[in-house]
Amino acid sequence: MLSTLQPPRSLTLLPFRRFHGSKTIASLASSSPTLDASFVSPPQSQILTTRRSLLSGETTASEIAKSYLSRIRLTEPQLKCFLHVSENVLKEAQEIDQRISRGEEVGPLAGVVIGVKDNICTEGMPSTAASRILEHYRPPFDATAVKKIKEMGGIVVGKTNMDEFGMGSTTEASAFQVTANPWDLTRVPGGSSGGSAAAVAARQCMVSLGSDTGGSVRQPASFCGVVGLKPTYGRVSRFGLMAYASSLDVIGCFGSTVADAGVLLHAVSGYDRFDSTSSKQDVPEFDTQFLSMDSFESKPLKGVRVGLIRETLEEGVDSGVRSATQEAASHLEALGCVVTEVSLPSFSLGLPAYYVIASSESSSNLSRYDGVRYGNQVMADELNKLYECSRGQGFGGEVKMRILMGTYALSAGYYDAYYKRAQQVRTLIRKDFKAALDHNDILISPAAPSAAYKIGEKKDDPLAMYAGDIMTVNVNLAGLPAIVLPCGLVEGGPSGLPVGLQMIGAAFDEEKLLKVGHIFEQTLKGSGFVPPTLPNVA
Amino acid sequence: MATRALLAVVTASPPRMIQIKASTFSSSLKFQRHITTIARSFSSDTNPSVLQPPDVSRLAETARISLTPSEIEECGAKIRQVIDWFGQLQQVDVSSVEPAIRAEMEGGNLREDAPETFENRESIRASIPSFDEVYLKVPKVLNKE
Repeated sequence: MLSTLQPPRSLTLLPFRRFHGSKTIASLASSSPTLDASFVSPPQSQILTTRRSLLSGETTASEIAKSYLSRIRLTEPQLKCFLHVSENVLKEAQEIDQRISRGEEVGPLAGVVIGVKDNICTEGMPSTAASRILEHYRPPFDATAVKKIKEMGGIVVGKTNMDEFGMGSTTEASAFQVTANPWDLTRVPGGSSGGSAAAVAARQCMVSLGSDTGGSVRQPASFCGVVGLKPTYGRVSRFGLMAYASSLDVIGCFGSTVADAGVLLHAVSGYDRFDSTSSKQDVPEFDTQFLSMDSFESKPLKGVRVGLIRETLEEGVDSGVRSATQEAASHLEALGCVVTEVSLPSFSLGLPAYYVIASSESSSNLSRYDGVRYGNQVMADELNKLYECSRGQGFGGEVKMRILMGTYALSAGYYDAYYKRAQQVRTLIRKDFKAALDHNDILISPAAPSAAYKIGEKKDDPLAMYAGDIMTVNVNLAGLPAIVLPCGLVEGGPSGLPVGLQMIGAAFDEEKLLKVGHIFEQTLKGSGFVPPTLPNVA
Repeated sequence: MATRALLAVVTASPPRMIQIKASTFSSSLKFQRHITTIARSFSSDTNPSVLQPPDVSRLAETARISLTPSEIEECGAKIRQVIDWFGQLQQVDVSSVEPAIRAEMEGGNLREDAPETFENRESIRASIPSFDEVYLKVPKVLNKE
């Protein structure tokens, strides 16, 4: 039963009808007089499309790679998503073409153009975590996630911009450049994985890897109108991910469709002996469940219980975001879901608890950057001075601040009052989620309290910036998986600004999130989520 | 600013399971509750007196980070503001709540304590700022009192 809420301005939600075969799109278009004139077919998975066209000989990996490289050249001066573009892209593409022409097997990611966040180690390519202290640093090994991508034929096109060491929500804390949001070049792309999200939105790469400690994949996905997938803690090996907060960090995936994010996640998931926190849980085949819309039943999500988190729709959340979320809930109802409101009483405690834990753990993790074994060194006549000057000059302001806050919270006499207490609050938050997920298949909320804001707007006000993380941090504290997918547009920018819906699942239940997300995306009518400001975007 | 409202710890209310309604939430009562909690959370008496405010210079020394005097001032003000905000956690009743180290882990993921040779030693060597065949060079250590 459809809710009676008004739909947001730029989306047309149609009553869901039974689909029969391939004539459905045409018949729907002709029978409904209210159909938006810019109706397009549902978004297609770029990974699956690439595989089909490579194996059928319709195109070559070299042609694909060339077109992405030229789009990067064209759009980078305005967007600045990349800190480094690989010099080996065409060579790797040619190798794939040669193997295909010899009739050899190629991996499931063959020819797929992938961006990698700069805090993930890539051998031989600079990996700086957007920090001066690691400027020019080239790791001697690939992160496990990168190794897996390469083994499957994926092409790492470059390293994307981010907030330094993952500390930030806008990429303004990068030591090198600020990335622009492809939907409005005066606005932030979100962070800390802002470069990875913007690069996918701008079609500079097909998919990308990011990292999510407090929302750093999900919030930029919302701001840039792409899909951002945060797996369960332990699902993906953290080996090679430069640690920020070890109990919270995960590697996450960006794609322009749910299917792409899911296939990429499947590729990088699994137990790794180099990461003792990686899980031995089986990785289900969640890369093969993305059915085409033709095969959907009339209520494809019948019986799925969805809990809308009450505390995420209160004061302080933009009205446009609220209505987009409520509309998304109605869409889920139309698909057969049972949507109810749930309360997570400890919800608002998550933000201070998160920042205590993250600062504390980061103060420990970043002590390795001392200018001795790698990175920029500032020579001094005494060892402690070498440490102090290398770190003082190598770290940016936000990083220094968080290290100092963490040092304070962990000091003798303060540990109980801050860090231990925050961990206790974490238990409360975890219990609330577990209780809610015992009665619901998934929980939903906005991904952020607003759409993308202007560059410079929150730069000098740390608390205002932290406030934007409120929808996402609790999920990291509980270690749960979550996906953000674009669900609407709000006013702002040349053609509106995207807003994402966050879906949260039970631990290791990425399969369910991907299933619900895929069906939601494929049945959402509208003009798609392609930023209008860029030339030649397919 | 509207987003400041999100920083306040909102008092817990019992969970309610209701159907989604078309009407928006009632505004005035909620608004008043938020304003009160914002005021409470930023007032200094949420900080227990036993905790000293952060001494930024000392913290910088502990963390081995050198700060210029202007950085100490600027950083100091922001840190004090954030740590005041952390003070909200003191209001929560956590008696008999176990601290959660991290997400539920299976444990026992330990490897053999056997050394393995890393192949790419050249690349490691290339990253070392001051290297003097086999040794990483650092300046002398002065013992401080």
